[in-house]
Amino acid sequence: MMLMSSQTAGSRWRDPAMWMAAPAVIFMLAVFVYPFIHGLILSFQPLEGGMLSNYVKFFSTDNLWMTIGVTLKLALPATLINILIAVPVAYRLRHKTPYQKIATTILVIPITLGTVLIAEGMLTYFGPKGWFAQILQTLHIYEGAIRLTHNYAGVVISLVISGFPFAFLLILSYITGIDPVLPRAAATLGATPFNQFRYAIFPLILPGLAMAFCLSFVQAFSVFPSAVLLGSPAGATRVISIAAYEAAFENYDYSMASAVAMIMGAVQLGVVVIVLGARNLFYRGPVTGGKG
Amino acid sequence: MKPDFKTLRLDRVTRRFGGTGKTTEAPQVAALDGLQMDIARGEFIALLGPSGCGKSTALNCIAGLLPLSDGGIYLDDHRIDTLPPEQRGFGMVFQNYALFPHMTVAKNVGFGLLMRGVPAAEIQTRVKRALDLVQLAQHMNKLPGQLSGGQQQRVAIARAIVIEPPLILMDEPLSNLDAKLRLEMRSEIRRIHGELGRTTLYVTHDQDEALSLADRIVVMKDGKVQQIGTPPEVYGQPSNLAVARFMGYRNELVLDVVGQDAQTVTLAGPGVNLVGIPKMRLNSRAAVSIRPEEFSICADGSNPANSISARVESVEYYGRESLFMLRTQDNTRLYVRAEGKASPGETIRVSVPADRVLAYPFEQVA
Repeated sequence: MMLMSSQTAGSRWRDPAMWMAAPAVIFMLAVFVYPFIHGLILSFQPLEGGMLSNYVKFFSTDNLWMTIGVTLKLALPATLINILIAVPVAYRLRHKTPYQKIATTILVIPITLGTVLIAEGMLTYFGPKGWFAQILQTLHIYEGAIRLTHNYAGVVISLVISGFPFAFLLILSYITGIDPVLPRAAATLGATPFNQFRYAIFPLILPGLAMAFCLSFVQAFSVFPSAVLLGSPAGATRVISIAAYEAAFENYDYSMASAVAMIMGAVQLGVVVIVLGARNLFYRGPVTGGKG
Repeated sequence: MKPDFKTLRLDRVTRRFGGTGKTTEAPQVAALDGLQMDIARGEFIALLGPSGCGKSTALNCIAGLLPLSDGGIYLDDHRIDTLPPEQRGFGMVFQNYALFPHMTVAKNVGFGLLMRGVPAAEIQTRVKRALDLVQLAQHMNKLPGQLSGGQQQRVAIARAIVIEPPLILMDEPLSNLDAKLRLEMRSEIRRIHGELGRTTLYVTHDQDEALSLADRIVVMKDGKVQQIGTPPEVYGQPSNLAVARFMGYRNELVLDVVGQDAQTVTLAGPGVNLVGIPKMRLNSRAAVSIRPEEFSICADGSNPANSISARVESVEYYGRESLFMLRTQDNTRLYVRAEGKASPGETIRVSVPADRVLAYPFEQVA
């Protein structure tokens, strides 16, 4: 970056390395920028009413604007749970050992499963007649009816299962990036393993955690299949993507669907901006203890 | 941990790496093999050896960062090698400083005290005192990244000593600094040790550092202790050929033993007749170690006792002295650092005092 800005604008275009970015730029324009602008314009061309009538309709219709809260209520806890579980697990697995490789592989496997596959598995495992409920009832651990599917809990569990590997891999890479001599130095200074983590690791991975939170949150916020298959799509898990789907494919109102998508994007952006803004309050610098 | 002790006893401290003993795995290698010594309170001990000799392994074992495979470590009669590092309470200075990059200098130095639950006000005064000692008080609110290498290393030293540990461990603390700074920091470490009198274990591969800092030097090679002695002992009387080589005895001549009595040995080779001191029991052949600086160039035509005739190959000028590279008659290279003049191609005679000719059994040559 520094190098480039010191060059003149003319020589920048002659630099062949610059053109290596061309495929990425074309890709971004074709599959992100164009559809986004198209959708944005479409959302201001409602089937009836003035330019803003889609947005007015969204925020004045209860079962539309309430989807924002419903989705946040699913995505925020699911993301937090993922991060909170992934941090200690990644910390435990930070050393390169054969055991670590096996454990990492097992933990990452769910990333290869589609959400639909996870939903199907969960329906048989967590359903009212599933193994999970039957085992708990046979062992008399919990006597009442266990409902972990077709409700809020089902969707959160599904989001945790599908989102965990992602958060775990991100956080593992942040933790392994920290100079292992730092916790050792802390240990020689009297820090217990917990304090080694708290003082010599945690502050250094905090910016990374904010990043992992944002990426995981954006993924969770756009939840659709599991909200339909594992939740109650008419009630507790009527998420914002369901509202967009209904507008587009049940009412054939692409303009309204675009408006919902824009609102969805704005909420995601809002959360990301808040979290990354808070990130600036943390220490951000080298994560090694001196010269290498 | 007890703030004071009389003796730190290392009892056959051994650390093996690799394999867990299963036949399918690589055989275990002893990085540190039976290190045995007693260290008195206040001593400055240097662990000296080439890389891979086990000196850092020894330090990490004592710090508690590596478990022992065998043996034990005792502080007086208290066994400590089973304790985790945070309960041993030894101050450690790492090669790459290992300062916490997100904490200010003051926070770094105060960290050990914070972990010990020392009240904030006392932490402040003790941190101030430690930073005064390393002359960095004016930088206490900076982050480590804003300091130079030498300053960072002094912060690391302050951080280790502020907890007033019974033992300070230093792992090649100067190896990342440039030559000039290294000399300054060496005096600094010596001064701090003089002021605080804390027992210090110092790992280095630099003989000059070990000689100038230590009360006693432990020379190591391949995980085994070769010699333990004061700097003059290790410098002047290496106990074996490996130590001699490491301590700067660059010249090695393989000669026949022609006569031997209790104190001296007479040795001969093509164009060489030397009287020396046997450092071990000798058989018919001996390897002789001589430092380049022990030689002097003989005046033209003279033929004193204990001299070697050799042809000059090249000369490096060092100011007061020059380094002459010579070839003896049997084509052995000889380094001579002496005053005087000689040109390449010339044949000269160099002499050496008998007590600076150290003879070791030839079999030891690896």
